[in-house]
Amino acid sequence: MLRRNSLMILVLAFTLVLSVLPATAQSPVEVTLWHMEQPPHRVERIQMLMDEFNAANPDVVVSQEPQNWGEIYTKAPASVAAGNAPEMLFGIPDFTPILKDLGQLQDVSDFIATLDEAHTFYPAAVAPYSYDEGIWAVPLYNMVHSLWFRNSVFEEAGITPPTTWDEWLAAAEALTTDDQYGVGIPANRQLYTDQTIYNLMINAGADEIYNSDGTLRFANEATVAAYEFYSDLYQFSPPDSPSWTWGEAEACFANRTCAMIMQFTVITTYDTQAEGDPADLGVVAIPTSADAENPGAISYSNGVMLLTDDPEKLEASQRFIAWLMQPENYGRFLNMEPGLFLPVTEDGATAESFWNDPLVVKYRSQVETMVANSSSGRLFGFTNGNTFPSISAISAQNLLAQTLQLIVIDGETAADAVAEGQVLMEEAIGE
Amino acid sequence: MSLVVRRTLLTIAVTLLMFLVIAPFYWIFTSSVKLPPEVIASPPTLFPQSFTTQHYDNLLGGSLFLSYMGNSLIVALGTMIITVILSTLAAYGLYRLRFPGRRLLFRVILITYAFPGVLLLIPLYGLLTDVGIIDTLWALIVVDVTLAAPFATWMLQAFFRTIPMELEEAAALDGATRLGVITRILLPLAAPGVASIAIFAFITSWTEYMFASVLIISDASRTLPVGLAGIIGQYQIDWGLLMAGATMTTLPVLLLFALVGRNFVEGLTAGAVK
Repeated sequence: MLRRNSLMILVLAFTLVLSVLPATAQSPVEVTLWHMEQPPHRVERIQMLMDEFNAANPDVVVSQEPQNWGEIYTKAPASVAAGNAPEMLFGIPDFTPILKDLGQLQDVSDFIATLDEAHTFYPAAVAPYSYDEGIWAVPLYNMVHSLWFRNSVFEEAGITPPTTWDEWLAAAEALTTDDQYGVGIPANRQLYTDQTIYNLMINAGADEIYNSDGTLRFANEATVAAYEFYSDLYQFSPPDSPSWTWGEAEACFANRTCAMIMQFTVITTYDTQAEGDPADLGVVAIPTSADAENPGAISYSNGVMLLTDDPEKLEASQRFIAWLMQPENYGRFLNMEPGLFLPVTEDGATAESFWNDPLVVKYRSQVETMVANSSSGRLFGFTNGNTFPSISAISAQNLLAQTLQLIVIDGETAADAVAEGQVLMEEAIGE
Repeated sequence: MSLVVRRTLLTIAVTLLMFLVIAPFYWIFTSSVKLPPEVIASPPTLFPQSFTTQHYDNLLGGSLFLSYMGNSLIVALGTMIITVILSTLAAYGLYRLRFPGRRLLFRVILITYAFPGVLLLIPLYGLLTDVGIIDTLWALIVVDVTLAAPFATWMLQAFFRTIPMELEEAAALDGATRLGVITRILLPLAAPGVASIAIFAFITSWTEYMFASVLIISDASRTLPVGLAGIIGQYQIDWGLLMAGATMTTLPVLLLFALVGRNFVEGLTAGAVK
């Protein structure tokens, strides 16, 4: 009898353990993030945040796989087609139409509404992702162009930092000496040149590339004025500018060969490879023409796209993003590259975690100017609700830069080059 | 022209050539040991005015550079070994054996070499995913062998043609099998050619970027060219780190050339003179 009871108790206990096991031993939901922030210190910072999140959320494991910007436009669609895409993918606005066409991209409108209630997004950060009755990425960080210079160089020349095109051209001329170029601007058929020429288009009132019906309006007087002014400035730029990308421009500024450059930031390079004197580093908004009603600068609202429709993985991904946007975490995330990545939410812009990074503390006034500049930032093809996915074809071929090369290298007039540029764009988008 | 003048001209020409070859290596190496402001100084300094190992410290201590290098070595050596085996057998088959369609097969091999690889990227990604080797070093070895083997096969034929048939026939009369003829007679005689294709396959794989960047997903499996591009970054470039990375990346290739470079030159010129 005793043996029988013992056996019953044993069976009951075993059944009880089995019934509890699935709940306690359930494997955590695994989600992967692909991003293009490859430099080791950025990878390390993202890993640190992921470790914290994973520790606080034992039912989720978030991991990262850094990728390269150069290949992600090929690799991400291939991975979606092959069925091994990550759950989360960082990107910029002109990347989302490509993935949306593949049918895997999730509309995050509801998620954005929840986050907005808690943190209040800057509308300019969300706008580039809002089209086709949905929002296709969660904005995470912003990058905006500004005009960088040394205060001492301007003081020595007896001039003040420019705010208008006339002042800018005069400054470039005044600062050009035997061992210094007044300004460093690229003419490479590359994204950096797209960005710098678009800065001038914005400040000439030519920021709209599309009409509201989707037809192109690139060829207009304001665009021609922007290209003309660029070529005027270009005469004070180093002769190797046609081969420049961002790094060459930064080096030119850091070694004092260029007096002014347009760039997202120069803070890290200036601090580590040049004088590192915060009092001497000057930054202002991109100067504007007399005709511009809505000045600004090119900006990239970087966002995270969700590529899974699995409810568990979607929830886990959203939980991680929501955690990242909390002010106590968000500043540390932005400062994976201090002085480059700017907040896209109101509470992020005041977060102590953002402003207490040693480099941000040192260059606080410059970062404040960048944050202010970001409020009027915009991106070609994603302005004022006139967002058309075909812009991906124009930006992929760097047609803004190619149009500039027609002027500064081939010697065409700005009017002819812009007209030719419009034809190239129409061909690119199959109009 | 007197002998003295000819020798002087030859010396000048060789010196000039050496300068052209060595100057980039000198520039990369010296820049990698300069302090950051001196690396980007204008005008640049021909001889370093400062010395630091900080770029190497950052490279080796602050990144996965050694892991990338290990992966590159595995892929390059794997590619080299498989290419040598495949190309040797293929070259022997194509140039010694007589079978229908031999000429056509030879042409097809060269066409595959001329095919633009970028067109294969996306289908190959899907194929390797189906096979289950995406994001593994095997994926790169398979791809790199297909890149290197056609040209290597074509290159080896020049060697096999210079080896008299009588030697093989004599070996066969003495009882050597077909494989025995290849391993005991042909390969020793064609050693410079084999060394050439080995180096060619190694360098093709060592410098391959496009497939390595797309077919590898995880950081831990990344090879040197792709890993280095990631370390350098896009908007902000640490030039000293870049130079240290370039120096370290060049070293294994220099080492390989130092060991078997003479064979490579012999291999390239084989069959050029009758």
